[in-house]
Amino acid sequence: MSTISYGDVNEDILRTMERPKPAFFLMLIGTLTALIIGGISWAVQIDVGLGLSGINHPIGWGVYITNFVFWIGIGHAGTLISAVFFLTRAPWRAPVYRAAEGMTVFAVMTAGLFPLLHVGRVWYAYWLIPYPNQRMLWVNFKSPLVWDVFAVSTYLTISVTFFMVGLVPDLAAMRDKATGLRKLIYTFLALGWNNSYHQWMHYARGYLLLAAFATPLVFSVHSIVSWDFAMSMVPGWHTTIFAPYFVAGAIFSGLAMVITIAIPLRMIFSMKHYITDHVLQSMAKVILFTSIIVGYAYATEFFIAYYSGVGFERALFYFRPFGEPGSLAPFREKGSFSIPQLAFFLMVFCNIIAPLPLWRWKIRNNAAALFVIAILINIGMWFERFNIVVSSLQRDFNPANWGQYIPQPVEIGITLGSFGFFFTLFILFTRALPSVAIAEMKESLPPPNKHEAGWREFATERTED
Amino acid sequence: MDKGIRRRDFFKVIGAGGAATATLAACADKPEKLIPYLLPPDNVEFVPGRPLEYATTCMECPAHCGMVVKTREARAIKAEGNPDHLVSQGALCIRGQATLQTHYNPMRIASAMQRQGNDFTPMEWDAAEAAVAGKLKNAGNGIVYMTGNVAGTRAEFLDAWLGALGASPKVVLDTLTHHSIRAANKTAFRRDEVPQYRIGEARFLLNFGSDFLETWMNPVENGRGYTDMHAYDESHGGKGGKGKFVHVSPHTTLTGANADQWVNVKPGSEAVLALALAREVISGKRIPGGEKERLEKFLTPYTLQRAAEDTGADPKVIKILAREFAQAEPSLALAGGTALATTEGTRTQLAVNILNYVAGNIGKTVRFGASIRIDPSSPYRDLSALINRMLAGEVKVLIVDGANPLYQLPASSKIGAALGKVETIVSLSSAWDETTRMAHLVLPGQSSLERWGDAFPQKGVFSLVQPVMASIYPVKSAEDTLLSLAAKAGVDAFSSTPAYRDYLREAWRKVQKAVGAAGDFEEFWRSSLQTGGAFRTVTSASSVRLDPAVFTEEPEPQPSMRGEGMVLLPVPSLRHRDGKGASNPWLQEIPDPLSQVVWDSWADINPATGKKMGIAHGESIKVTSPQGTVELGAYYHYGVNENVIAIALGQGHTASGRNADHVGVNVLDLLPSLSDRTSGDFAFLTTRVKVEGTGKHAGMVLTSDSPRQLGRGIIQTQSLADARAGKAPEKEGGGHAPRAHRDFYPPRQEQTPGYYDPYRWGMVVDSDRCTGCSACVAACYSENNLAIVGKTRAGLGREMAWITIQRFLEGKGDDVQTLMQPMFCAQCSNAGCEPVCPVYATYHNPEGINAQIYNRCVGTRYCSNNCPYKVRRFNYFQYEWESPLHMQLNPDVSVRSKGVMEKCTFCLQRINLARQDANEQGRNIADGEVTPACAQTCATKAITFGNLSDPDSRVSGMAMRGKKNQERRVRQYEVFPELKQLPAVTYLRKVTFESSEEA
Repeated sequence: MSTISYGDVNEDILRTMERPKPAFFLMLIGTLTALIIGGISWAVQIDVGLGLSGINHPIGWGVYITNFVFWIGIGHAGTLISAVFFLTRAPWRAPVYRAAEGMTVFAVMTAGLFPLLHVGRVWYAYWLIPYPNQRMLWVNFKSPLVWDVFAVSTYLTISVTFFMVGLVPDLAAMRDKATGLRKLIYTFLALGWNNSYHQWMHYARGYLLLAAFATPLVFSVHSIVSWDFAMSMVPGWHTTIFAPYFVAGAIFSGLAMVITIAIPLRMIFSMKHYITDHVLQSMAKVILFTSIIVGYAYATEFFIAYYSGVGFERALFYFRPFGEPGSLAPFREKGSFSIPQLAFFLMVFCNIIAPLPLWRWKIRNNAAALFVIAILINIGMWFERFNIVVSSLQRDFNPANWGQYIPQPVEIGITLGSFGFFFTLFILFTRALPSVAIAEMKESLPPPNKHEAGWREFATERTED
Repeated sequence: MDKGIRRRDFFKVIGAGGAATATLAACADKPEKLIPYLLPPDNVEFVPGRPLEYATTCMECPAHCGMVVKTREARAIKAEGNPDHLVSQGALCIRGQATLQTHYNPMRIASAMQRQGNDFTPMEWDAAEAAVAGKLKNAGNGIVYMTGNVAGTRAEFLDAWLGALGASPKVVLDTLTHHSIRAANKTAFRRDEVPQYRIGEARFLLNFGSDFLETWMNPVENGRGYTDMHAYDESHGGKGGKGKFVHVSPHTTLTGANADQWVNVKPGSEAVLALALAREVISGKRIPGGEKERLEKFLTPYTLQRAAEDTGADPKVIKILAREFAQAEPSLALAGGTALATTEGTRTQLAVNILNYVAGNIGKTVRFGASIRIDPSSPYRDLSALINRMLAGEVKVLIVDGANPLYQLPASSKIGAALGKVETIVSLSSAWDETTRMAHLVLPGQSSLERWGDAFPQKGVFSLVQPVMASIYPVKSAEDTLLSLAAKAGVDAFSSTPAYRDYLREAWRKVQKAVGAAGDFEEFWRSSLQTGGAFRTVTSASSVRLDPAVFTEEPEPQPSMRGEGMVLLPVPSLRHRDGKGASNPWLQEIPDPLSQVVWDSWADINPATGKKMGIAHGESIKVTSPQGTVELGAYYHYGVNENVIAIALGQGHTASGRNADHVGVNVLDLLPSLSDRTSGDFAFLTTRVKVEGTGKHAGMVLTSDSPRQLGRGIIQTQSLADARAGKAPEKEGGGHAPRAHRDFYPPRQEQTPGYYDPYRWGMVVDSDRCTGCSACVAACYSENNLAIVGKTRAGLGREMAWITIQRFLEGKGDDVQTLMQPMFCAQCSNAGCEPVCPVYATYHNPEGINAQIYNRCVGTRYCSNNCPYKVRRFNYFQYEWESPLHMQLNPDVSVRSKGVMEKCTFCLQRINLARQDANEQGRNIADGEVTPACAQTCATKAITFGNLSDPDSRVSGMAMRGKKNQERRVRQYEVFPELKQLPAVTYLRKVTFESSEEA
């Protein structure tokens, strides 16, 4: 490992926020275009009505809810890395945790848009918030959707707080370097940080406390999101396994997203010596582990559908991989294509089969391979949610009311817009804030003293297991 | 407080001023003379917010059911059957329910029009009348009056008018005529009439082809009779039972789908089967005189073997059929419909007459003398003659009124060319249609809810038509136009009756005599207006004997079919009959109950044929006859003979407005201009067609997905033996849950007795009574302001129907059994929809209704996802009502905006209206006081609504809820009991015959 001094850290990381190259603007234009497409799509949808989407009777939820679950899931990895791995003292977390935490904040913000996007009358969406009002109306606390409001808003509050608190020492470093308006903003955000021993003592305690606060959210938020489904009685949704299944899936997809972001990040900002292969392969191990949990959950769903003896469940779990029962074949139009079947096989391939190569050390340490697998997992996890949301509604209790769902341009536009929203925020974040935590990075480095060489040796041992 | 204005006074002034402004604004531009004179019952005052009802008569088809039209603030909002009417007895069919949309048709013509090139320009009414009168003056015999409606006094009025002008006799256009029945009765019994069929009194019903539950004769009356005869009745002969219904035809429409057994015969072979049955039946019957010997001799050639060969049916089936038919006392054989309308249709009718005679049904279930007086429509032969006259240029002025010959007659009749030869075509039609588009002058008529008239659909039934609201447009009724035309043409025969209302009143003096009502005429007139007419029950049946002339007639065994390929069978449409209702959005959007197709035509082909020919379900096929080609979707239907392709009439309009135009195809384009050899009825079953697949998707839209219920027990059946023995089936629901399961949870509050006090509204649907006629669906659309979404959106499953007719098939091939029943919100006590709504937009009201507060709804659609019955509908768009259809909207029901969920609420507005009355009188709502729109219009009384908290209510007696009734439940079931939704809508199982069982 190359020698990195405290000064290098400051230099290298603050350098990422200097005058951007044209490539930055190109990327920003790309993501902004996607965001604008999404914005226009939403505006048109509000004006004309939800009928522009492919949502119909009986498939009341479609791509929007799929996206909601997908983005909430993405968010989980950030909190896992920053809070849970902080508590468990996983040393490889330091270089990626800031980016992951930023990702969490932006993913939760993106996810939070979808409940608004999918309701019929978005201009009344605030009715889901319980507050004393002259209409004398109150929300229904039995409804998982109300739990969702709390879960998501709590999650957003905590992750933003955690994110901002973690930033304080770094903001102070930037304040010291910046000039003009930037200086003013950083000064304000740095909350008078002067790097005193006293401050560090309180800060460390406070950060630990917040991490402890955030940790249960990793498990609770996605559990509650899963109950949006599990609390209903729709076959394919009504399952007790959903909470752990969703949490594992969230960590799985979130870490894949962290890798998707971290690999280009270290390439663009030439930070290979910070975000090392060791960091990536550590995440790959967690991915592999969660992939197995997710695979086990898939299998359990099928087994329980069979074992429960409930005809509706059995029929649905037959439908997902195999399509229509044969007895309906004569009444079907020729060549009708089953989207749920595609979703199912994509899900199985991307989430169970694609991560299998990660068992090998070589693949885990190969950034390119890891990147491909991470992208596949992102796709697979999106289709997993699509599969859960759509195919269950497509084949519920009454066969006369079964339906077909095909996402429409407005939904694709809004989905694109959500990626635009997320990446625009993220790209701006890399310019405005240090995407690698300076202070924590320094913590993991040997302190500058006369026994430098000895410390370096020690550090090398620690980071290369 | 004597200074200034007081608060109360201020509001009084503001209120009165506002009301006056509103009233004046509403009345301002309506010419006074066009406001019809209504005779409100004097003991009723107009109360804003209260409906005012007028009794009138449905003019949608020649059956003329009695109808009550509900008006609110002087607008017609709902049509219902007139309970006091002898024929309909409170029910209406789907087309009758849709009368309102005929009335508020967006294609209504608002003023007199004259042709300018290919366009029409409005003109002054008087000038238009003068122009027509000028043409009429010297045309004499060259005047032809073609109409679709000659109900009641109108026939006589038209004759007088035409006589006064020296014009040709009137021509009455209807494609679905019954002249073959009359002709056959004339030959067989010397009675030139359509007899009364007492379906309700038969114990065994054998139907040769007629669609008596859809369009044949009076479907409402038939439906009622059919369930009287066929519905399972516990008290039936002390042991429980039901009559059996066997359908003999190459094709089953809704009527055939209801049959207990379908005998699939080759097209045109019914006569031989009827005679063979007669041969089997006669041996056990006592027929006096030498008639029996003569009959036996006559029937000798018609052996079972021959019948089996000719029809392609199993001889064993025919044998059993003959035995059952003979044993039932009395039985009834019906014959009619397009499947019998061959060039030899009268012969088939004759054969069936002989069968009925031999079985001793004449005078019992077939009654002469108490005849159904179906309007004397012109046989097709006469229309052909008229077309020839038109082609020869002999027709100077053609007046069309309520008839659309250009659409209703096949193109092969050359009607298009013939109309081109007429010097002046005057249309009195109230809305644009194909023929009116060809007219030179248009003097639009009024709808049947705006004008005076009457109808005498049966002996002893005198039914009045009266205006229920002011005319939407400043137009005159056809009769009034004719009267002023006569005056302008210098004919003074009608000077004593300047308005048709006066003419009608005069004519009703005769009616008073006919019904034998004593007393003052004014009194009689007024009471007739109040009750909807005057009725005299005709019970006497004159006995008839078989005319020996019958024996000289050799019934043609197989009428010839022209061309090669599959036999084309055009069938009347339940929704559009022969095409009249096609511009009516309700009728396009409500699916055909059997095929579940909306906004389209389709061709029924047997799946076996389809597979053999390589035609897939839903594939676009080309059907070619020597007369033309149509392209439409193939529909796999088990209930059609393998050599037959059946297409419904009534679609494929070209100039009837955007709801009808280019929707489906007009099957008449394929037919040659042929008529029945004896009676002159149009011959529908004459042609063979070439059928080829195109490999393209036809894009048919079905509102129902799976035709199989996959053992989920949504519509359940029970064998007659079990029903008689009082045995409930072993398995409940879809067999997914054990019958006696232990509940882990304490009973919900809603389950505890006394929770719902004093009302728990509920419904019981008897699946054995439901025929799938879909009138309830139309009634719901009308009552609850349901939006129309069109074909594309319906294709995405976005139709707004609160009731759907569920249709499932059991079995396959000829043994296919079709099950149908309505499905609406079950108003569950433990509803899936309620807990998931985040904003309490849907909640459980204290009377057990899953109320939906539209204004509170945010539109998460979670409730719909979580509803196992999928009966909630979401407003994906802001739906609008094309003017003037919006005038029909029921002011008691909010019109929902985009982004809102909606659903059935048991017609809560009706419950609340009844509650007002009950509260005023300090009592509870009585049983039967509230009837939701669906139950109200049901001819077969399949839906019973009431208070489940009242143990004495009818609905409680039928539902048999609660633990203490568990042992007494036989046919009772609920859909998806394993989900524990505790629905308030429960069902009674359909009772089916095991193959060996007899009625």
